[in-house]
Amino acid sequence: MLANNLYNIRQALNEQGIIFCYSGYMTEAILSGIGQAIKQKLVIEEADSKTMRGVFSIFVEQMQNVIRYSAERIPEVSGDESVLSYGLLTVGNEDSAYSVTCGNKVLTKDIDQLRDHLEKISLLDQKELKALYKQILKGDVPEGSKGAGVGFVDIARKASQPIEFDFKALDDEYTFFALKAYI
Amino acid sequence: MDNIHIAATERSPEINFNFQDNVFLIKGESYPEDVPAFFGPNINRLKEHLDAMDSGSVTFNFELIYFNSTSAKVIMQLFDLLEESADNGVDITVNWIFEAEDDNMEELGEEFGEDLEAVKFNLVAQDS
Repeated sequence: MLANNLYNIRQALNEQGIIFCYSGYMTEAILSGIGQAIKQKLVIEEADSKTMRGVFSIFVEQMQNVIRYSAERIPEVSGDESVLSYGLLTVGNEDSAYSVTCGNKVLTKDIDQLRDHLEKISLLDQKELKALYKQILKGDVPEGSKGAGVGFVDIARKASQPIEFDFKALDDEYTFFALKAYI
Repeated sequence: MDNIHIAATERSPEINFNFQDNVFLIKGESYPEDVPAFFGPNINRLKEHLDAMDSGSVTFNFELIYFNSTSAKVIMQLFDLLEESADNGVDITVNWIFEAEDDNMEELGEEFGEDLEAVKFNLVAQDS
């Protein structure tokens, strides 16, 4: 039963083309470890260097977004050094395209701003993304209280298709947020 | 001012600031856990040094393989700092060194460098 249950989870992931999955509390140390494993896997698969850099770079931005902004965290007050942030990360390889997906809880009151920001980014072409990236780096565009602006722009720039994102309402306070980028 | 030499780690670049020779280097991968803590004190030392100069020449070499978006903000700050110093009369050369086949790093160099006016900016392709 035990092996069967766990194997079923593995099979469900396989069927979705997921080669790597982490669900749990994330920290910077976990980012380092998973990052190394992803790099090794891509070397073994003989991915070209551009793909490798793209996957790794999007992985870092996605994980850091969860670490910094997940609304499911211990302690609940942000700003503590020893914070643990809950989130999910998957790396997939379907039809020879890699994808990196992250999901975490966000506060329902924050989703309008987040959705507006992501909708805006997903409509921009590469040239416009480049201009926005630079504006944010130069401090010409206020990033807002959530501060993740430049990370999302960076993901969109390195992705081979427009980023996909979605929200699932959980209760009044929390909404589950997912973001997927193909490389 | 004492020189700064910090060896590279898996997540942070080598920093080599030679204040006597005015040659500065940031080399490697950059996605430190705490970007402000890693770069802040070193950039403050550099700023102090540059602020005290109104002539002479400075070479700054960026030899980066990968940097995250938080590090990108720091690089942009550094470029602004160097441009300001060049405006004040210091002869500043920035070399953006990238692996020849790394189009992405070349493009980032073009983007960061395109606003420089007083600084001499070179894109340097290097065989890996």
